[in-house]
Amino acid sequence: MGDNKQSRTFDAIVIGSGMSGGWAAKEFCEKGLKTLVVERGREVVHLKDYPTTNMMPWEFKHRGEVPYDIQKENPVISKCYAFREDAMHFFVKDTEHPYVQDKPFDWIRGYQVGGKSIMWARQTQRWSDFDFEGPARDGFAVDWPIRYNDLAPWYSYVEKFAGISGNKDGLPNLPDGEFLPPLELSCVENYFKESVAKNYKDRNVIYARCAHLTEPQPIHAEQGRGQCQNRNLCQRGCPFGGYYNTNATTIPWAAKTGNMTLRPFSVVHSIIYDDEKNKAVGVHVIDSNTKESIEYYAPVIFLNAGAINTNLILLNSVSKRFPNGLGNENGLLGKYVAFHNYRARISAKYDGFQDSKTDGGRRPTSAYIPRFRNLHKQETNFLRGYACTFSAGRRSRTDTNGFGENLKNNLMASPGLADWGIGSQMMGETIPKESNYVSLDPNKKDNWGVPLLKISVGYDDNEDKMIKDFFEQMTEMYSKAGFTQIETSDSKQAPGLDIHEMGGVRMGKEPKTSLLNKWHQFHNCKNVFVSDGACMTSTSTQNPSLTYMAMTARAADYAISQLKKGEL
Amino acid sequence: MDRRSSIKTLIIISAGTALLPSCLQDDEKSSVSYKKIKINTKEENLISELGETIIPKTNTPGAKDVSAHLFALMMIDDCYEPDKQNQFEKGLKEFDAFSKKKFDKTFVQCTPPERLELLKSIEDKKDVPGNVTFFYNTIKGLTLHAYTSSQYYLTKVHEYKLVPGKFYGCVPVKKAS
Repeated sequence: MGDNKQSRTFDAIVIGSGMSGGWAAKEFCEKGLKTLVVERGREVVHLKDYPTTNMMPWEFKHRGEVPYDIQKENPVISKCYAFREDAMHFFVKDTEHPYVQDKPFDWIRGYQVGGKSIMWARQTQRWSDFDFEGPARDGFAVDWPIRYNDLAPWYSYVEKFAGISGNKDGLPNLPDGEFLPPLELSCVENYFKESVAKNYKDRNVIYARCAHLTEPQPIHAEQGRGQCQNRNLCQRGCPFGGYYNTNATTIPWAAKTGNMTLRPFSVVHSIIYDDEKNKAVGVHVIDSNTKESIEYYAPVIFLNAGAINTNLILLNSVSKRFPNGLGNENGLLGKYVAFHNYRARISAKYDGFQDSKTDGGRRPTSAYIPRFRNLHKQETNFLRGYACTFSAGRRSRTDTNGFGENLKNNLMASPGLADWGIGSQMMGETIPKESNYVSLDPNKKDNWGVPLLKISVGYDDNEDKMIKDFFEQMTEMYSKAGFTQIETSDSKQAPGLDIHEMGGVRMGKEPKTSLLNKWHQFHNCKNVFVSDGACMTSTSTQNPSLTYMAMTARAADYAISQLKKGEL
Repeated sequence: MDRRSSIKTLIIISAGTALLPSCLQDDEKSSVSYKKIKINTKEENLISELGETIIPKTNTPGAKDVSAHLFALMMIDDCYEPDKQNQFEKGLKEFDAFSKKKFDKTFVQCTPPERLELLKSIEDKKDVPGNVTFFYNTIKGLTLHAYTSSQYYLTKVHEYKLVPGKFYGCVPVKKAS
């Protein structure tokens, strides 16, 4: 009854509605393509489905804390900094979607329309040729088939729409973008910026570029979004649309065209490859509620399921031509997975600027130290380098000693101010290796009959050496600024908790050594594109989401032009 | 939702208190049922009085006014590891023994000055069993938490601004509002 093949045939299918899938949906729908967006999770409508967004602290039963039983049952997701009472409904619980850890790997997921774009940390630094040329220069992975210039106009394109705040710093290693005004740095952040500039000719402290509307433009008003109010409660979803998430921007934009069919609760089992037509023809979806199997068809398919899940779908897409997973003739699918090394932190105090403080809003970002190590040439005993966050603020201090009326008086008085607290986190590049891979578990399956994913990804001594250098260099930089009580810590956290897992379906120039070409197309299955984290050849030090967005817009533009030429 | 249900709970509690003489209640179940910890009315009352001693009502509300004891017990029940819950329960039992040793009466039977003296001896760590210190520190921490995150405190004392607006990176301390 109406459910004929015709009604299940579209011009394009996008798998996933998160950070990159939203962009594919927007680009296709704007260009008039009837687009099916399949999302394995539930619908999350901007504003309507942010149940906690306007809640006051006292309205949370546990004041933000996650109850013990939930933590105990979900040890992986409980490690995530944003898995708190106000946003835990946006995260996948361990118990709901198991996976196999060959080595410890904290896989942080958000299964819903918008994916993790609802809870992301909103840092949007561009990559540069110091990143794209890294593998070729330092002899790891394979050479990227693209350079910064290929992506630069697309960075601009997505930045204008998304709304990125930043300062034009003129740094070759962190190219400037289309910026809305930056928020202010604190007194001590500015002081440190000057101190570093004075002591190091090649190191910079800048305002971290981030996806916050500091000065909304007409394009943002058209999206129904307003100015960031510095609530710093972004993970709940923003009632102002003050930060970029898919739900407030690309998805409603795509819907407005009338060309989008959004299908939540749709687990993609596999991509259907037609051995006679020699191309992919559609996707095999399982309704997550009814467990019904449904096939959808389209001449072009974009995989934006999130790096690891994109690998899973491809590995599970077997055909006569591709018995080891779609496009996987060279055996590299699932391999060369990498991530960011977020283990190391450093903190300190500063007793200067006693008569100054920050005030007003809760700034949702920090300062940033772009990578300075091994930038122009190899200079250390480890490969690549790291960027660092930097923040300096003063906490209010209330004396809570004692009890009775004295204590009460202290609670009622204006709080004092602690010394300036300083902190940095390392964001280190890791080297993709064949031995870091994901595969399908041969026996275990999930509730929808899809094999469980087995993750075998670990650190090596490059990470340890890098951490040591971060501690040394930052200690020196902190010391030169006169910071005291410097303390370093290595969380030893498992890979994955950085939530920057990448690779497995890497881009490259040669079909023998890579899976995707410079347009994110499979070398050997031209109508399937991968433009989420799975496509990444190397990891850079910069937060990758902005790059996924730019890559997706670029790839979609190419796919549309190829469709028109009848090339797909 | 949470706020509504806790208001409802409060109404039920006060209705219960009004109907039953306190001596009948002593070893009855607590006013709120807990999943893991075992608390009777007498103990609940002790925690309420202890909280009020830590943050007393003056010309402004005290711990009882924000139902700090119910928050504390709920947090211990929901958010504490079993080991800590056990130690809390042990400390709770030992607390009155500690009081009896010092004043020959339970904490609730003590006069306000005696209660203060008892807390001082705990804070000064004079011959205090570890579990008693743990119990006291737990209740003090959670009472402070309840009070400083209460609607009263965050609207009337130090206002929490849900929508704070502009961020100023560097302002003089004195000018601050």
